Amino acid sequence: MAAFLRFEIMRSLRNVRFLVFIAGFPVLLYLIYAKQTGTSQGLTVAAILMVSMAVWSGMGSAMFATGPQLAKERQNGWMRQLRVSPISAPRWFTAKLAQGLLLIIPGFILLILLGFGYGHVHLAAGRVAMLAAVILLGVIPFCALGLVIGLMFDGQTAQVAQMLTLLVLAFLGGIFIPYSNLPHVMQEIANVLPSYHLVQLGWNAVAGRALGIRHMLALAAWTVALGLVAVWRWRQESTTA
Amino acid sequence: MITNNKGAAGPAVAFRDVVKVYHPDIKALDHVTFDIQPGETVALLGPNGAGKSTAIDTMLGLRAPTSGEVRILGGSPAAAVAAGQIGGMLQTGGLPEGAQVSELIGLFRQLYRDRRSTTELLTLAGIADLADRRVEKLSGGQTQRVRFALALAGNPELLFLDEPTAALDVEARRHFWRSVETTAGQGTTVLFATHYLEEADANATRIIVVNHGRIIADGTPAQIKAFTATRTLRFSTPVPDPSELLKLPGVTDVVVNGDAVTVRTSDADGTLPALYALGRQIKAMEVGGGGLEEALIALTSADNSPVMEGVA
Repeated sequence: MAAFLRFEIMRSLRNVRFLVFIAGFPVLLYLIYAKQTGTSQGLTVAAILMVSMAVWSGMGSAMFATGPQLAKERQNGWMRQLRVSPISAPRWFTAKLAQGLLLIIPGFILLILLGFGYGHVHLAAGRVAMLAAVILLGVIPFCALGLVIGLMFDGQTAQVAQMLTLLVLAFLGGIFIPYSNLPHVMQEIANVLPSYHLVQLGWNAVAGRALGIRHMLALAAWTVALGLVAVWRWRQESTTA
Repeated sequence: MITNNKGAAGPAVAFRDVVKVYHPDIKALDHVTFDIQPGETVALLGPNGAGKSTAIDTMLGLRAPTSGEVRILGGSPAAAVAAGQIGGMLQTGGLPEGAQVSELIGLFRQLYRDRRSTTELLTLAGIADLADRRVEKLSGGQTQRVRFALALAGNPELLFLDEPTAALDVEARRHFWRSVETTAGQGTTVLFATHYLEEADANATRIIVVNHGRIIADGTPAQIKAFTATRTLRFSTPVPDPSELLKLPGVTDVVVNGDAVTVRTSDADGTLPALYALGRQIKAMEVGGGGLEEALIALTSADNSPVMEGVA
């Protein structure tokens, strides 16, 4: 499994689109917007945006490990080749999860460095560690979401589905637009989205507030629900395909 | 029962009364039964849609049969796959983007616990010059050869090759079959699917001919070729004489029904001129194939076929 994980990480790091997505895009947005002044609930704009972008980068990399890549490899037959090799489905799943989580790290470190260096964010080491833990555990439902997309859609369609899903989650979840600025109807929607709960956890961690059990439960529920859909699709495919 | 080791007793593949139904009216496999003994190199020969890939997929555990039983090395296909006893080269198979050929081979060597050296794999598959190449830069034929290396990585007891030479040019084909022979010589049982009679004839010790999901012939290449030469001549002639017709070259069987005659011959080219030379009045001559014709009419010679890129 370690061999498989290393192999998957190596080829992800060669994927330009992926690197742009987890690092380029959030960094660019941060450079553009972090210099705005102002505070909200005790956090500077630079700190708020550092968390938003870290969450956005984390969501993207978690979904990338599976998502469109999986869809493509199901379609081109690579998944069938793996299924006749000795790697078992549970070990494959575990490696994919680990891949999604490990690949968060570069984007996360980059944004923390930018936040500190460029955004003048001052944060105790304990709070940075808390943020790291929150994002690492909090993107697990997004790994499951990527799996669902990769197993439900084919190649090109999966690409589009993944982008749309990410953008909808980011806008409605209050990552690009502050939650308080959203119209009431959208706030109602945001309340059920995993992106909303993850970014709230992130801000709470940075502000040193209580994390909020409600957010954790919501993310756990998403993980279970999406995980069940993924397992169901996986089984369906391995018995009929 | 625990899976057999190389050389242990019992068939390498036991296919018992296997039925695979995709649609209520389409039987991809229709009560198919055969055994493959350790050490055999068997060709599964038939036209497209005959059921070859379905048979291979069920042996690899990629599809479950609708009914019947498939045993691989004494256990279930899944157990043999998990134990790394099987190597499979599927009919279609892309490689994962972003990887180098050497990384892919390294991965498979580790998945199969270092059963073959990298050098050996690169040589067998004829891809030593491609080791540093990125997967997305490979041509169809090169991809095919890399997939062959992956199938060999575990030095498998049982090697499945589904239309393995579709994208290969003549030289690459020659190298490929030489490597298969080397592998077989080291004790690997080989089963390959093809729709080229010549490919089956040249490389298999046994040919199983399938069509419409059924086995229609099973024998040595010599036996199968003898079958394929069989022709049926149907004609009418006044007062036919069976003993006279039986003496014609190649004739094995004569059936007379009034004026109507059916002659089976292993050498139609010799029989026909001799028949006309008898000076009889011959009407309504029809030349039909033997029992195998329906299946083999769609089979083409490997050497005449165009080199295809990608999926066959």
